Parts: sequence; C-alpha cells; structure tokens
Amino acid sequence: MSRWRFLKSELHGTVKAFFLTSAIWFVVGTSIGFIDATHLVAPELLADISWLVFGRTRPMHTNIVIFGFVGAGLLGAAHYIIPSLVRHPLYSERLGKLSLWFFNLSIIAGTVTLGLGFTQGREYAEWIWPVDVGILLSLVVIFVNLAFTVRRRQEPTLYVSVWYLLGAMIFTFFIYAFGNAVWNPASGAIHGMPDAILAWFYGHGIVGLFLTPLAVGAAYYIIPIVVRSPLYSHTLSLVGFWTLLMIYTHIGTHHLLQTPAPTWLKVLAITGSIGMLVPVLTVLVNLWLTMRGRLGYLHSDMGGKFVFAGLVWYVLVCLQGPFHSLPVVQRVTHLNNWVIAHAHMGVLGFSGTIALGCIYFILPRVTGKPLYNRRLADLQYWLVLFGMSGFFIVLTAAGLIQGNSWLNGEVVYRVLPEIHLYMAWRAAIGLLLWGGALIGLYNISRSMYSLPAKGEEP
Amino acid sequence: MKMTPAVVLSGSVIIFAAVLFVAVVLPWTTISEEPSDIYRPRTPSEEMGRKIYIQNGCGYCHTQFIRTIDWGLGAERIARSGDYVKEQPHLLGTERTGPDLSQEGGEHPDDWHLAHFTNPRYVRPESVMPNWAFLGEEKIRALIAYKQSLGYTMADGRVARQKYWKEKAVAAYEAGPDRNVEWLHATIPEGWRNVPNPYPTTEASVARGHRIYQGFCIGCHGPIGDGMGPAQPYLYPPPLNFTILKGRGISGGILYYQIMNGITGTAMPYFKRELESEKIWDVGNYVAVYFIGQTDADQEPKGIDAAYEPVEGK
Repeated sequence: MSRWRFLKSELHGTVKAFFLTSAIWFVVGTSIGFIDATHLVAPELLADISWLVFGRTRPMHTNIVIFGFVGAGLLGAAHYIIPSLVRHPLYSERLGKLSLWFFNLSIIAGTVTLGLGFTQGREYAEWIWPVDVGILLSLVVIFVNLAFTVRRRQEPTLYVSVWYLLGAMIFTFFIYAFGNAVWNPASGAIHGMPDAILAWFYGHGIVGLFLTPLAVGAAYYIIPIVVRSPLYSHTLSLVGFWTLLMIYTHIGTHHLLQTPAPTWLKVLAITGSIGMLVPVLTVLVNLWLTMRGRLGYLHSDMGGKFVFAGLVWYVLVCLQGPFHSLPVVQRVTHLNNWVIAHAHMGVLGFSGTIALGCIYFILPRVTGKPLYNRRLADLQYWLVLFGMSGFFIVLTAAGLIQGNSWLNGEVVYRVLPEIHLYMAWRAAIGLLLWGGALIGLYNISRSMYSLPAKGEEP
Repeated sequence: MKMTPAVVLSGSVIIFAAVLFVAVVLPWTTISEEPSDIYRPRTPSEEMGRKIYIQNGCGYCHTQFIRTIDWGLGAERIARSGDYVKEQPHLLGTERTGPDLSQEGGEHPDDWHLAHFTNPRYVRPESVMPNWAFLGEEKIRALIAYKQSLGYTMADGRVARQKYWKEKAVAAYEAGPDRNVEWLHATIPEGWRNVPNPYPTTEASVARGHRIYQGFCIGCHGPIGDGMGPAQPYLYPPPLNFTILKGRGISGGILYYQIMNGITGTAMPYFKRELESEKIWDVGNYVAVYFIGQTDADQEPKGIDAAYEPVEGK
C-alpha cells in the first residue's frame, strides 16, 4: 500500500489535508495579490515578465483565494462537521483524499495555465476546460463522500449545517458547470449579452452558493458549541436556507446594470438584491440570538473569535451589497475600487475569516492536541482584521474618488494620480495580510506535525 | 419541515432549474441576435489580436461598454446589445483602471499604439498599464489591429481619417521645417491663428503648465521640448521639436487649438476631454516660454482682463 501513500486512510486525514492546503494557498494567494498590488503602484517593478503581468496574475489571485484558500478551508471543515453532526465517521477517507488531490491539482493546473496565457477570459471562470473538469470531478467526489456519510447517519435529525454543506456542493456543481459553459470546451462561453448574463450568474453564484453556504453552515455549527447554547430557532434557519438558494441565484445581473442587458432582468436582479436581506438577516438574527450575552465565550475560543469576526464582515458586506445594487448608487460605485473593497470583504472578511475560524476550531479536535501557538493565531487574527479593515477603507476611498471624478467628467487617466497614494497604501496593507498568511501556515503546520509550543495548555 | 438528504437534494435541484430558466435561459433565448448598425465581422489579424487581449487579461482594466453617464474615450455612442452578438466570450469588463475601449478604433494612429504597447509611459507618463514589449512585434501588431477595429464601422471611418491625414503630415514633415510649420499652421482655422494667449505669464501659471507638460506631453516631446522623448523612435512623423517654431508665426491660439484638437494622422492626440481651458492655455504658454523662447501671452488683442489677473504695480 505504500505506493498509495497520498491516498492513505487515517481518521480526519482529509480534514487535515484540506486545512493544510488552505493555509498554503492563503500564502500563495496573498503573495500573488501583493504582486498585483505592486503593478498598480509601480507598473515597471516586474516589467516584461509574461507570467507576472497584471492581467495574468489577477485571475491567479482571485481563483486561488476563492477555491484554494477559502474553498479548501471550508471544505475541510465540511469533512469534519458533517461526520460529527450525523455521528458517523466520514464514509471514505480515501475518497476524501482523492477529492483533495483533484481539487488541488486543478488549482495548480489552473494557476500555471493562467500564467502561460491560457484563459477563458470571464471573471472567476477563467480556468480552461480541463481544469473545470477537474474541479467538477472533485465536487462530485466530495458530494458523494459526504452524502454517503449522511446516509449512514446515527443521528436521525439533520442539523442546519448539514443542509448548507450538502446544498453548497449541489449548487456549486451546477453553477460551476453551467457558468463555465462546459459544453463549449474551446471557449467556455456562449455569445453576446447572454454570455455576460451567464458569466455573472456564475461570478455572483460562485461566491454566493459555494463560499456563503459553506461559511454559514460552519458558523451554524461552531457558534452554538462555543457559546454553549442551542441554536435559537429552527424556523429561522429553514427560512434562511431556502431563501438563500432562491434569491442569491438570480441576482448576478446586478453586475450588468449599466450594460445593454434586458431591463426586466435588471429589475429582477435589483429586487432580488434587496431581497437578499431576508436570507442574510434571518441567519444573522438567528445566530445573534444564540450568542447574545455570551460573547465572552466566543472570544475566549480562538476559532469562535475568527468566526465572530467573519460574521461581522458578513453583516457589513451584505448590507453594502443591496445598497450598491441600486442604479443610483452604481452611478458612482461601479467599475472602480469600491467594488474591489466589497469583493475582499465578502471573500476575505466574511468567508475567509470563517474558514480560518474553522481551522482553529477544528484542528485541535482532529489532532487531539492544542494549537501549536495560540499567540501566533491571535497575531494572525489581528493582522487579518487590520488588513481587511485597511483594505476596506483605502479601496472604498479610492473608489469614491474614481467614481465621483468620472461622473464629474474627468477622464480615467486624470484620476490615476489621484488614487496613486491609495494604491500604495493598499499594497502596504496587503503585506499585513501576507504576514498573517505566513504566520497561519507556520502555526497550522506546526499544530499538525509537532507538539504544542512551550507554555501552551494541553 | 423535516429536512432529509432527499429534500435538500430535490429542493436544490428544483430551485436551481427554475432560476436557471428565468435568469439565464429566458434572456438567452429572447435577446435579439440581430447585429447593430455598426457591426462588421473582424479580420483574421483582428481576431488574433482579440485572442491576445483575452490571454493577457486586458479586460481586467478596460471595459467595452459606454454608459449614459460616461465622458471621455468612446462617449459618442451608448452601448447596444446588438454590438455584442458575435462576441464569445463577452469582454464587457468590470473595472476601469484604464479607459473604456469600445470605440477605441481610430482614436490614435498605429505608431502611437506601437509606442504605447512597448511601454505605455512613453506616451502616457502617468499610466499604470504594463509594458507589452515581451509579446514581440507580431503579437503587438495583431493587438493594434484589434484595437483599431473596436467600434466596428465607426472605427473604420476614424482609421481611414487617420490614414488620410497621416499621408499629408508625413509629406509636410519630409518637406523640411519651413514647409512643415507652414502646413501645421495652415490646418488651424483662421480665427484661432491670430489669437494670442490672453492670460499673463506668471510664476504660478508656468508652474501649472509644467505640471501638465509632465503628465501629458513629456513622453513624446521630451523634457526639453526637442521632440526626443522616449516615444520618439516609434513615431513617424516624429514628435515636433518646439524650437523650430520660433520666428515661424506661432501664436497662443495655434498652440491652444493643436492641444485641444490634436493633429489627427500624427501621434498628437486631442486633449479637450482631459484638460480644461486653463490647463491648455497654461501648458501652451509653458511650451512657448521654455521651449520656443517667445510668447505672446498677455498681448493685445485680449479684451477685458479676467478678474483674477494680477493688476500691474499692485
């Protein structure tokens, strides 16, 4: 069996492996993000290196953080949460490892091919067809593995986290397959305005129906345990789950309000975007009423603390989303760094921070020993928090400058020097996140492979 | 409601199918596939250029649709659905770190693009666009062909205009400085030619002009105005050496008009969308004072002084 070591079956092996890859991708993703940031400050710092040109590193960065860092972290959590909630070990650790390899090899292949200039050119759906197939395969294997685990459950009632985690896999599979137009291997696209609509059905959905349900499902699991209190309401969780699926899916066209997309579809997207307040607020109210008066418990737990911060970003990002889906707001906010701030808030602030929370909450439970170093995890917490807040402030400010200047008739070129300083700040703040990622990788790998540092409670 | 795996699975699939139908299939099947009035098919080299545009992620900084609220490049035509029917994938874009390109064709001649792709700062000193020299000449040529096709038949009209005037500009340049300057001045409408710069030369106005010169002009005309900026080797006719204008009938009005309107056919773009009136007068005067060595600023006829102008002796 030694030949198959990479598919070795050990208890919680899949969870740990997903967590480790998440930590690695966090470092890689932020490194490339930092390179992107330097391009916007000093465009000739890395000039004339084809695979490091902004237009190629930008999709590497976005796809790595969505799938590699946040995706792998939350998928690892799913492989722990579902077995724990249904009181049956994971159906197959070997299938788990298989899905992990499909997933990671796809991300590696996607990153390398993007660097070489192979892309389908649609935001977040850039990876070429073979990579898409690899991702879809891994999603199928993960779903089968988790579904079989649920089928063998010892616990008759399915807790809300299980619905979210299973639902996420189903939705991600379909959105990914349709959004990448996998029936068109050469282009991964359809024609004209319908292609833009399909691409944003995907671009919005991949955040909303891959990362959001995984992160929310994990929060539903972790919060009640940490605060030692049962979930406030089953009904609210039902409403939140089904409305998320119904509403989040059809609002992608709010990315296209200023293009010649059909007006009825824009109306649908805007109303749906406002309607997003329903699934978001039901989840948040439900969790808030669960944790109210017990925040002390939350903040004495490393994982709980990250998850709480992630939920705060969830509030902010989901209030901002409906707000800037309004056409009158988009006159200023569309096409500039305001949206970049929003995207970082959704992927890093909300789901990324929850992914880190999952790692720190679950890791001691699967290794059977405390974290290698709590203080380093704490440091990472503050670096991510300051980094994310800094991004939000700087990028939003730059976006407002851009948007208002353009509206006032200034051309793009004239506004570049005005945002230059903000882009420099953004690169500097990016270093905080990069440092946080490095510390995280060190701490997480040491937690797995060595004994806790001196002074850590057993 | 009792949640079982079957309920989650079937519920998810039903919802997904319903939403896919409403939000994707319905628009897909009902949006007209009729190309708009300006549409024309792309040539093979334009098509190759489009591939290079996609491969290198140009769409992360450049949009290709003009909104009703836009100013600047391309803002002469609001995007229509029919402009995109043959686009696969779509390249609408979501960011404007650079300008919108949906009507870029014919805005500049090919030689300007060659300098710009080699190093964007050669012609646009404050640009943050990457250098594309690594692509090699062939791919850059294809990219240029693609850019000149953006705007379809509207672009073709502009490209033809560039070519028409390029021939004249080259002929004038090759006829020597006297003929060249004579031709350049003859292209300015009569009324503008005789207008002196109506504003006084002050330390502040020259400093403002200097700032504008560095942000907009230095790449081609160079730091000393001799037309030897870093873009010079790529451009033909080459950027004007301002020193040859001395004693050849230059006026503030001519400089203003050329900066405002550009000299179509040459690499000199129009700046009326980027610079307001004061900035154009100031940079024109900066060029006159520092590089030409003669200025008609604050000379008659200039009408009533503007309220801000310093009063002599005060």
